[in-house]
Amino acid sequence: MRPLAITSCGLVSAAGLGLAALDHPEPAPRPEADLPPRPMRLVPEFSLADHIGKRGTKHLDRMTAFGLVAAKLALADDGAEENGARTGVVLATSTGSVRSLAAIARDTLVQDKPYQVNPAHFPNTVMNSCAGQIAIWHGLRGVNATLAGGQVSSLFAFRYARTAIGQRLADRLLVGGVEEASPAVAWAWHKSGALRADTAVGEGCALVAVEDAERAAERGRPILAHLLACEVGYHHGGDRTSMAGALASRVERALSRSGVRPDEVDVVSLGAHNHVGLDRIEQRAVLAALGRQPRVLRIADRLGETYSASGMMQLVALLREWARGGADRVALIPSVGRDGNLGCLVVRRPA
Amino acid sequence: MSDQARRVVVTGLGVVSNIGVGAEAFAESLRAGRTGTSPIASFDPAGFPVTMAGEVPGFDPAALVEHIEPARWGRSGQFAAAAARLAVRDAGIDPELLSRANAGSIMGTTGGESTVMQKLTEQWVRDGLPAIDPALAGQAPASQIATAVNSELRLTGEAQTVPTACSASNFAIGYGYDLVRTGEADFILAGGADSVNRATHAGFFQLGALAEDLCRPFDAERTGILTAEGGVALLLEPLTSAVGRGATIYAEVLGYGVNCDARHMVNPDAASIAECIRLAHEAAGIGPADVDYICAHGTGTPTNDATEIAAVRKVFGDEVPPISSIKSMIGHSMGAASGLGAVACCKALEQGFLPPTANLRRTDPALGPDLDCVPGRSRPARLDIVQNHGFAFGGNNAITIFGRVS
Repeated sequence: MRPLAITSCGLVSAAGLGLAALDHPEPAPRPEADLPPRPMRLVPEFSLADHIGKRGTKHLDRMTAFGLVAAKLALADDGAEENGARTGVVLATSTGSVRSLAAIARDTLVQDKPYQVNPAHFPNTVMNSCAGQIAIWHGLRGVNATLAGGQVSSLFAFRYARTAIGQRLADRLLVGGVEEASPAVAWAWHKSGALRADTAVGEGCALVAVEDAERAAERGRPILAHLLACEVGYHHGGDRTSMAGALASRVERALSRSGVRPDEVDVVSLGAHNHVGLDRIEQRAVLAALGRQPRVLRIADRLGETYSASGMMQLVALLREWARGGADRVALIPSVGRDGNLGCLVVRRPA
Repeated sequence: MSDQARRVVVTGLGVVSNIGVGAEAFAESLRAGRTGTSPIASFDPAGFPVTMAGEVPGFDPAALVEHIEPARWGRSGQFAAAAARLAVRDAGIDPELLSRANAGSIMGTTGGESTVMQKLTEQWVRDGLPAIDPALAGQAPASQIATAVNSELRLTGEAQTVPTACSASNFAIGYGYDLVRTGEADFILAGGADSVNRATHAGFFQLGALAEDLCRPFDAERTGILTAEGGVALLLEPLTSAVGRGATIYAEVLGYGVNCDARHMVNPDAASIAECIRLAHEAAGIGPADVDYICAHGTGTPTNDATEIAAVRKVFGDEVPPISSIKSMIGHSMGAASGLGAVACCKALEQGFLPPTANLRRTDPALGPDLDCVPGRSRPARLDIVQNHGFAFGGNNAITIFGRVS
């Protein structure tokens, strides 16, 4: 499969708006009621109207706002005026907006009549709502996909994007992941015991513009990174050793398909280091596949746990380093979830 | 990986629906024009002016699955796992071979594990958020639908859920087809699942889109959809592999089209749907005259059916092939809907019949002349190429084309 070029990035995160926000000091935490006793990394308040205009935004939910702004930033940064018919959207989300969904589900229980839900908010509850709104607001009529794979969701988005570009369903895609924190989501994480006690629950959306690498080069696009491989799989039950083995085999296959030797991997952008149990699986898999432990990045320490968007945030951490002139060339982005999904990306900095 | 695209065929069909569990029972109901909608039993519909839906009565996952423990999965995951198991049995393939192969699943959905969300919300309202059951919360992500399939079948390939709403099964079939034909996977279970739930029922009611008693697509007096549920899976594999193991081949996936209206979240767009049909034809290497039957999206809302027929006329002109809606029988099973349509297409090709639009009394004259919606009961017909529609909120159109393998 041919490499994809990542030509721009739009980021909405707890650090603020834009990739450069990752360099700034942490904004003050924004308090929200009804949260569990656990740190939160929430997106600082912003006005959606400042980014996409005021008209028609009344019924959009918060998750969609993340997506619309990230898309705006990615498209603006890209600087390319392209035919919307050939540009599509591939967005990872495993639950959609739990806030919007729960609001409708609650209304069926607490209103006088069970049908007294807000019809204008109902479309927000379908999980492809964010991807659909991005298409509407930015006129992107190419393939419009939404992918769910738990912790590994963002990798699925890349896997889909590779196939879609390869099969010419689109010339260019906005690919990314979105996650919205809410009291319900925070309590679910808190009670699951899946995260370390001091791990923050995070949120945000990261979208990158991708196209075939040769096409991008021909058009003289600025290339932030090349995506060389995306291998995913599923591991049922089993112990840590066998799951680490399954992940390691995906890493080996991804490197082999990338034409990259294990010793050429300079940096690993970790995803599971704050997950109880999974951290060891990720560590072991990396060691087994590379034969050593290269330098690591831990973006979730900065942005909190972002679940569906986590793989994207791992990528974003690399893009920021490379934009600032870091010396690393080849990076590995592993991802593994308690549900058994696992996979990795191999990404190379342009020469 | 070879650059030579492989031909991809459907060799196994699995269905859990309100008109039959198993593809053969499902096909029998289609031929008879049997309606499967009934009064709502899965939640208390008191207070709702509309109390009909398309639930799967007496669904017993334990009787169908072999590996997963149903209590650990949401209803949509149970539907998906059961349908996938049925598809594998139908395909007559050794399950051990499948779990050793490069095999995975791509499953579509609209509401994901909506009944799990419903239970969690009930806990929240009753006892507060700190009282929610974490095990239940673990079942809530939509991704658990494909995960349930891989877990049930012990598959080690990808387990991807595509929540592209009401066209999601077609989307999944298209994606699975691409993965198999490019050699990224050797077997894919593709389909979808959704569950009847209060929030979806309430939402469609408030949009004014629910029918009171029966779903009557294309009828002059049609009033809307009935929310429904179910699970569906198609086993996709390369033609060479199917021939090699002497499998029954239902159909070849000739191609598919996907696009996005990018105009409105809930209103369909005839020009964009017509474009999607053209994309599907182009991908399949066929023209409109080659299509023998269209399995419509046909939700039964005034807007959908009028828009869909207008779009079909833009492509087919005055030569519209027979077009029917199996939602007349099943209701709108959301993310499973176009997968059930795909199974209907495969069975129609195999057995030589046109699935009917049940409950159709008088075809809406506003839809134009010479429209054959196969009213009431099925008719025998020799079919070679059939077209299956799926449209969704978000303007996500997905159309699959199936052909007889000669």
